[in-house]
Amino acid sequence: MIEQTKALALIEATEARRADRRRFLTMAGGGAAALGGLALLSGCGGDNGSSSSMPPSTPTPTPAPTPTPTAVTDVDILNFALNLEYLEAQFYSYAVTGASLPANQLTGSGVQGGVTGGRAVPFSDPVVQQYAREIAQDETAHVAFLRSAIASAGGQAVAQPAINIDGGMAGAFTAAARAAGVIGPADTFDPYASDENFLLGAFIFEDVGVTAYKGAAPLITNKTYLEAAAGILAAEAYHAGLVRTVLYRKGIASPTLKLIENAGKISDVRDAVDGPDDLDQGIASPDGGVTSNIVPTDANGLAFSRNTGQVLNIVYLSKSMLSSGGFFPAGVNGTLRVSAAS
Amino acid sequence: MADDLQVIDVLDARVKRRGERRDFFKSAIGAAAVGAGMMAAGRPAFAQSVTDADVLNFALNLEYLEAQFYSYAATGMGLPANMLDGTGTQGGVVGGTKVNFTDPVVSAYAQEIAKDEVAHVAFLRSALGGAKVAQPAIDVGGTDPNGAFSTAARAAGLVGPGVAFNPYASDENFLLGAFIFEDVGVTAYKGAAPLITNKTYLEAAAGILAVEAYHAAIVRTTLYGKGIATPSLRTAADLISNARDSLDGSSDDDQGISPVGGLGGTGSNIVPLDANGLAYSRTTGQVLNIVYLNKNAVGMGGFFPAGVNGLIKTSANNA
Repeated sequence: MIEQTKALALIEATEARRADRRRFLTMAGGGAAALGGLALLSGCGGDNGSSSSMPPSTPTPTPAPTPTPTAVTDVDILNFALNLEYLEAQFYSYAVTGASLPANQLTGSGVQGGVTGGRAVPFSDPVVQQYAREIAQDETAHVAFLRSAIASAGGQAVAQPAINIDGGMAGAFTAAARAAGVIGPADTFDPYASDENFLLGAFIFEDVGVTAYKGAAPLITNKTYLEAAAGILAAEAYHAGLVRTVLYRKGIASPTLKLIENAGKISDVRDAVDGPDDLDQGIASPDGGVTSNIVPTDANGLAFSRNTGQVLNIVYLSKSMLSSGGFFPAGVNGTLRVSAAS
Repeated sequence: MADDLQVIDVLDARVKRRGERRDFFKSAIGAAAVGAGMMAAGRPAFAQSVTDADVLNFALNLEYLEAQFYSYAATGMGLPANMLDGTGTQGGVVGGTKVNFTDPVVSAYAQEIAKDEVAHVAFLRSALGGAKVAQPAIDVGGTDPNGAFSTAARAAGLVGPGVAFNPYASDENFLLGAFIFEDVGVTAYKGAAPLITNKTYLEAAAGILAVEAYHAAIVRTTLYGKGIATPSLRTAADLISNARDSLDGSSDDDQGISPVGGLGGTGSNIVPLDANGLAYSRTTGQVLNIVYLNKNAVGMGGFFPAGVNGLIKTSANNA
């Protein structure tokens, strides 16, 4: 789905991001201890979630209020999340069963699209297969839950948009893997080909879900939906922790698989498309090293946030302001559908 | 720290909980479709008098506990003295010892989690400024048969009377010790999320929630993986989950790493979720039931022998 020039642009952006990250890490050394007080927290409230550049400040008892866009409703946010859950649920559903979500889980407002690609993974490690089953079940539950929750909020759930989870030459996974340098510019990446490829395919999504729900949390006004979103956030973080732990363990045991190195490259490409802030980390520290980095956190030990535009940069596989691309060839459904100009 | 009578109470409650859990799963079959209806039923209203600072201070007590445990396990030393002061009564730590890890991967995980938990203490203290609570008295010792870890392990049926459970004795014991805390942190932050009024604090709390879930996944995935070769490890984790569930009231808000609903075999349950795919919530009182190792409404016990500092300090009455 991605033409050659776009893939090349992504690769260039990745290289620029590596340099950015090196500079960031140099500047951020020991930064946690130097920063003080509530100003630190206020720094986390912005759209980009980067707190480390905030200047030191005297603690004050009342934090600055965070401006919230008024036009975005809870239903808009839940529908944005539903698009992402369709993508995850279809990927895991195909990987585990070879089949799509049931047709009655795909209807709704907007243009309903089909799924391109996807097939059952011939798992060789029964433990990885079991993990895939478990995650597929959870993601399918998230689709059902969000559809139901949106209806009960008086809204209409969006239909599943067109989704590309193909493992072939024209697949979004191949475009992502090429951009990351996990494969060569003419090679194919098939996440259904092996346990290892499946884990790397899963890795592309999971941390993004965490940052998306964290970024959306302050935008949700209804406390019940907020707590539910926190429950999905936790589930995505459990999934991400599971995938990262298995990749790291297998990567240490079999260095020739280059799992740690490739996870680092995927992290870099995510970072490359979502703007100048460093919001992503591989599974070892430094990238390709042997010290584990299962938990991607900032200097304060907090997970990162992405705004909706940054999330779309990643699933559209573009750092430009677009309304379709990558895993969503016709764009997502709903009001939040444009990626950020990063 | 709990006396024998209390341990017996916990054990009795555990048996009762197994029955309740069975009943729960019987009635929960097909409940996924209920979906938003369950959400709309909502949760009991919380007292309006709880401020954001109260909630963050409650969390800080838990982070002191986790940070001390992992610091001792990873480095043999506790938190530095300049990270312990604040309002309320500052207490000491019955500490542990550096784990002599045999699996370098588990050692790496311990180092990583320790670093994150220390960062959480620093972050919350910084956020709270002059309002931060001091570290309360903490028991993370590994040698006292009546210490908190031993009491918790005994309640779960892992050790007998008069026998200590030492979470610093081996990789496996360390993972089980960590398992006692991690999922509780997730449910605590999720339960607290709707109580936080300031959006900036809320997003920060969501960031800690996510990290606790990553930690819990590391611990659960590693226990499950090692449990393939050593089934007793998996059983032990399931028993700890049951013990937690027996302490915190009649709702089933905890799951071991073996499949729920009787799938059996080698199935996994790395991610503890309800029928809607959501993580569970615990109220502050329920969280304190677990760390106090007491199902009654009390102000101290277990891992906090003198109670936590701050306004939120009483466990729920689940007797």
